[in-house]
Amino acid sequence: MKILTPITAAHALLVLGCLLSTVRISAAELKDSLIPGTIKAILSKHCVECHSNDSREGDLNLASAEGIQQGGESGPTFNTAAPLKSLLWEKITAGEMPPEDAPRLTAQELTELREWLTSNDWKPWQREQTVTQHDVLPILLLRCATCHGRQQQQGGLDIRSVASLLQGGKQGPAIIPGDPGNSLLLKRIHAEEMPPRDDLAKYSVKPMESQEIEVLERWISTGATHVEIAEDVATAAPDPLVSDLDRDFWAFQSPKRQPTPTIGVPQDGRTYEAVDAFILDQQSSRGLTPSSMAAPSVLIRRLYYDLLGLPPTPDEIQEFLSDYSTHGESTWPRWVDRLLASPRYGEKWGGFWLDAAGYSDSEGVQHSDPVRPYVWRYRDYVIQSWNADKSYAEFLREQLAGDELYDYENASTITDTMYESLVATAFMKLSPDGTFAGITGFVPDRLEVIDDSLEVLSSAVMGLTIRCARCHSHKFDPIPQRDYYRLSAIFKGALDEHGWLQPIQQTTLPGIGVRHLPYVSSEERQLWLNHEAALDSELQKVRDAGGTEEAIKAIQARRQPEPRVRALWDSGDPSPTYLLRRGNYQLAGRLIGPGVPSVLTDGKTSFEIPKSRPDALKTGRRLAFADWLVQPDHPLTARVMVNRLWHHHFGRGIVRTLDDFGRAGSGPSHPALLDWLAIDLQDGDWRLKRIHRKMLTSATWRQASEVTSSHELHDPDNQYWTRMPMRRMDAEELRDTFLLTSGRLSLKRFGPADPVVAQGEGVFVASEHRGQQRRSIYVQKRRTEPLTLLSTFDRPAMSPNCIERTESTVAPQALHLMNNQVVQSLAVALAERIQRNPDGVVSNAMDQAFSLTMGRHATERERAVLQRMDAKLTESWSVQLQTQQPKLPEQKRIQLAQQKSLETICHTLFNSASLLFID
Amino acid sequence: MPPYSTSTQTLPHRRRFFNRTADGLLGAALLALSGSTATRAKERGHSPTGHPSDESGNPHYTPRARSVIQLFMNGGPSQMDLFDPKPMLTKHHGEAYFSKIAGEVENPQSAGALMQSPFKFAQHGESGMWVSDALPHLSKCTDDLALIRSMHAPSLTHEPALYKIHSGSLLPGYPSLGSWVTYGLGSENENLPAYIVLDDPRGLPINRTQNWQAGFLPPQFQGTRFRSTGSPVLDLQRGFEEPDGITQMERQFREALDGLHLETHPGQPRLQARMKAYALAARMQLSASDALDLSQESEAIHDLYGIGQEPTDSYGRRCLYARRLVERGVRFVQLFIDNQIWDNHTDLAGGLKGACERTDRPIAALLKDLKQRGLLDSTLVIWGGEFGRLPIAQLPGDKDASKAGRDHNKNAMVTWMAGGGVRGGISHGSTDDLGLAVANEPVSVEDWHATILHLLGLHHQKLAYPRNGLDERITGVSQPRVVDEILA
Repeated sequence: MKILTPITAAHALLVLGCLLSTVRISAAELKDSLIPGTIKAILSKHCVECHSNDSREGDLNLASAEGIQQGGESGPTFNTAAPLKSLLWEKITAGEMPPEDAPRLTAQELTELREWLTSNDWKPWQREQTVTQHDVLPILLLRCATCHGRQQQQGGLDIRSVASLLQGGKQGPAIIPGDPGNSLLLKRIHAEEMPPRDDLAKYSVKPMESQEIEVLERWISTGATHVEIAEDVATAAPDPLVSDLDRDFWAFQSPKRQPTPTIGVPQDGRTYEAVDAFILDQQSSRGLTPSSMAAPSVLIRRLYYDLLGLPPTPDEIQEFLSDYSTHGESTWPRWVDRLLASPRYGEKWGGFWLDAAGYSDSEGVQHSDPVRPYVWRYRDYVIQSWNADKSYAEFLREQLAGDELYDYENASTITDTMYESLVATAFMKLSPDGTFAGITGFVPDRLEVIDDSLEVLSSAVMGLTIRCARCHSHKFDPIPQRDYYRLSAIFKGALDEHGWLQPIQQTTLPGIGVRHLPYVSSEERQLWLNHEAALDSELQKVRDAGGTEEAIKAIQARRQPEPRVRALWDSGDPSPTYLLRRGNYQLAGRLIGPGVPSVLTDGKTSFEIPKSRPDALKTGRRLAFADWLVQPDHPLTARVMVNRLWHHHFGRGIVRTLDDFGRAGSGPSHPALLDWLAIDLQDGDWRLKRIHRKMLTSATWRQASEVTSSHELHDPDNQYWTRMPMRRMDAEELRDTFLLTSGRLSLKRFGPADPVVAQGEGVFVASEHRGQQRRSIYVQKRRTEPLTLLSTFDRPAMSPNCIERTESTVAPQALHLMNNQVVQSLAVALAERIQRNPDGVVSNAMDQAFSLTMGRHATERERAVLQRMDAKLTESWSVQLQTQQPKLPEQKRIQLAQQKSLETICHTLFNSASLLFID
Repeated sequence: MPPYSTSTQTLPHRRRFFNRTADGLLGAALLALSGSTATRAKERGHSPTGHPSDESGNPHYTPRARSVIQLFMNGGPSQMDLFDPKPMLTKHHGEAYFSKIAGEVENPQSAGALMQSPFKFAQHGESGMWVSDALPHLSKCTDDLALIRSMHAPSLTHEPALYKIHSGSLLPGYPSLGSWVTYGLGSENENLPAYIVLDDPRGLPINRTQNWQAGFLPPQFQGTRFRSTGSPVLDLQRGFEEPDGITQMERQFREALDGLHLETHPGQPRLQARMKAYALAARMQLSASDALDLSQESEAIHDLYGIGQEPTDSYGRRCLYARRLVERGVRFVQLFIDNQIWDNHTDLAGGLKGACERTDRPIAALLKDLKQRGLLDSTLVIWGGEFGRLPIAQLPGDKDASKAGRDHNKNAMVTWMAGGGVRGGISHGSTDDLGLAVANEPVSVEDWHATILHLLGLHHQKLAYPRNGLDERITGVSQPRVVDEILA
């Protein structure tokens, strides 16, 4: 017996896969009289409430013989070879059906059902079966398309249609209808020549299994039947799988324009904004009041970290404080605008998006974890888009369908805009991807990559969990399995498991393409061409002068690889999409066309796919999808985005589950506010900086973060935002703060990521350039080599993405900050930086150290501790130095002791709670 | 407030059933099942320890074992050369077989004919368990072993197969078994991490530190590496020169500054948690060094584990560390060995023998030592790799059959368990006549995970963590079966 081993956990559902015939039964006329009355009674009593023609849970209709015969999304109702392995019987006997709260079948009913199944009474149904090309094509695509499909037609053979099979290749027709014995296709398969045994692993292909060959034989022997079947797409007819009641759920309804609540604004001299009205409304209805405004010194530090991820410098603090004391609150919006205009803003907020998109600089999966050579272009695109305040609608259109926006192949010039649009599509190419190697590049591996990309899309953009529907209809949300495959059909033009492009090229495989395109901007391309041409002429000169091998090699070493782009590219010729029963790639079900989740539509409109350009060779599916996502009445897109912004500014989303607005999600705590923001985003041309401004100028955001006993009593979880939550820095903020304050931060932007250096086993640091390191967003994110400081402070691995980080407080963090040599060297650098300052008298040095690291001035009590500390440390170091270097002159010794003391103080500040937490 | 309709009382559809349950009797049960669902908000960004048994204080049912020692055998040990004798393979030695299994072979170009085992098998102990002469020490412990000869894996490539056996997923980024166990059960020693990894000082295994990652679980459930040379924990000691007195002073001043900060920030539990983490860090500096101080062990113990002798010294030390750690209440100890010593693509006779010589004596010593200290009853020892090997030969470039090895096989592999709650002396399941694939009582990786959790008092369905709208489990959406047959 061959053990059927699960390909993924999801596939483990599959117990009887190899036993089930893949043969479809034709929808012939059937007489319901074939079903005995007793069986009809059982089905009516237990099943048809959910499984009827009008309400087809699991896409199953048990109310008619025809429906029973067709089966549901998990497969055929009956197993002809082993009746008691029929799904109908297994679901019932396994206790899965009827569902938990419904009555079970009685012993009598079970006996009747079993007798019927094991009798011959239902078998006449099987006579009508015909095998069509839709039973055969999924098998041929799976086993043969790599060499005889879209990308290459070895031997002149293309197996993708009946016509091309009949036409065959150089050696004649592949099939002869009615004559399996003389059909070349079968002869080569039976002779075990195809697929060629030695190339199986290289090309990621497996030989046909016996039941697949059987289907193929049956199809040819019965005349190679070709039937036209329409793809399953949304039509004007009401959708039997998703009802209007399903659509009633708040998140599936369009956001509604909300009036700003009229409330008695507190007479406390503060400015209240529209956002505050919604918060105050809920507070006042519960007798709660907001906290007082935070101190200006707290506000400016909070603002810098929130928008830029870096502390304000002492000069900036001073500037703000004097500005504030002169102009009062009116200065605040100006400072918000000033920071929103900083190039550091995109480096902070682009980082959130990169988490949501699952950005990584390597492919993962295999031990070699190869680096993705061009993916940094996407990182730069994201940073630039946020800095430029690009419309979020446009941002999405570019990421989902940038390749469909312009005619790259025939353009005389690739403009920066065109280049950026193409780079943006890497968004759907960021998941771990082992398909660069044959052994991890089989069809199920490719399906995993596609599934991960759809997961990124659905969790980051749509706030929905669609992934469950890959194997079965969603248990909580009205997302039938069909909708998962409709969505995957949208992407099939570029993410096609039967016309796969490798993410990087490791070994040259004839006919197998790589997902890299040459369409960088014409300017960049010209620079590269010039560089190479200069080398060519240099080379020529050296050769002419009879230069040495070494001289020639030295010039060759300066050659640069052709600049390329990692992107999606629509082939215009996608493979058909078949629903995969229980998510199993070997159990192709019915033919599915492109479409969007039905519950997010009115359920009566077909999904239109206009051509992106009249002459475009592309499917246009993704562009249509992107346009659908950003249409004004879309229930989720705007809500999900404003909720993300709210989460990052206020510590928690209005919907806490950023990735799940569905029924298993948390629901909005302030629904009217969520809708108001969502509509406001669209009213403002989807510009995000406008939304930042509304949030950051609110009185709610500017509240103090102190927790009072009244808070603990009346709003313990800060559900009503009666205060701002104190937050811990994230990993990148901590590292960047250390670098900035110690004067070691390079603010150089963009370009290839800085490599990671192993420092002992499993310990990784960023490489330095002239003693400086760049911000964390520019350091290589290799899956197997996470920067130790960052992973210790909870920067997550991308699997495939991270919508919300967890925050831990563990001993290794303390050990790292206390004892790590790199952290200490930065503290030393900070001390040196302060000492280089000509004003550096000792008492002032500590104040400087404090305000540089903390983004505020020390309090009197803190200053007292620091002074005591300095005195004791200097004394202790002085004693130490006296033993270590007895010949050192006293003045030098004291100077050195003071310097050492300052180093220890800086290190202590790096380890203090005041630095790590933001009020 | 706008009329946000969430009422779905009218329809009895299955989907709606799931939505409804949260407020009924079943809802209560479901909340208990998913454990942390109810505390999700609390955990996000707040709780320093967040494992579900914090809530109930109890595991899901009576545990049979308190700790786990996982002896991970990198590379995929050969079942038919260690624990699964195949007379038919001897009989058909030299016959061609490749074409029947072409799709299951990673390296078809080097595939050879059927190959008998170069090792001799005999029955051992009261149970009469079959063990080959490659394992002379372990064959004296057979009455403590529950052998599973019918395991199978989902991939024949190291990386995904390793991810699978360690985390239940074929892809990186998912929590490892040790993370799930410590998430479920917490720690019994507040001076040591609950989940400790003893990797080989000679090099990290395939997938490196990903083998003990916490994935989407809070990072405190990640495995902590204890090194057997130098400082046992990363950054455990000052990584720079500094007099002790200065270090002490810095600690006092840090506490003073943090004390001032705490005074002005009442009601922020994370601040206390952070101070506790610094205190634990200080305690760990002592307790970790103590746990790894083998000079406290007798000469006889050193000898039993083969410490101070080659080729057993390195692995023997790690086995003895493992005992000392579970003795101190560490929940999960994971041992690795360098360089995939079980990945015997060539020179099966020599390579497999070498792997056995490095590990056989230390492992047998660990079982005996745990037993004589009464620790075996509460410690679950698990042994195995990521997949098995093929009955056909894999030939080297010069096609010299005497240097042949075996290629990867996902359809059959062998593992064993011993100790807490395990029935000793049993051989569970069987493979076909050639050892190519499981014939009876298949045990999937999910079944294996569920069985280990069961022995620790955890139910694989209940040990869940909410993420992206799903309750994630180590067994995913599968419906595994606890291997009852091997339970005591």
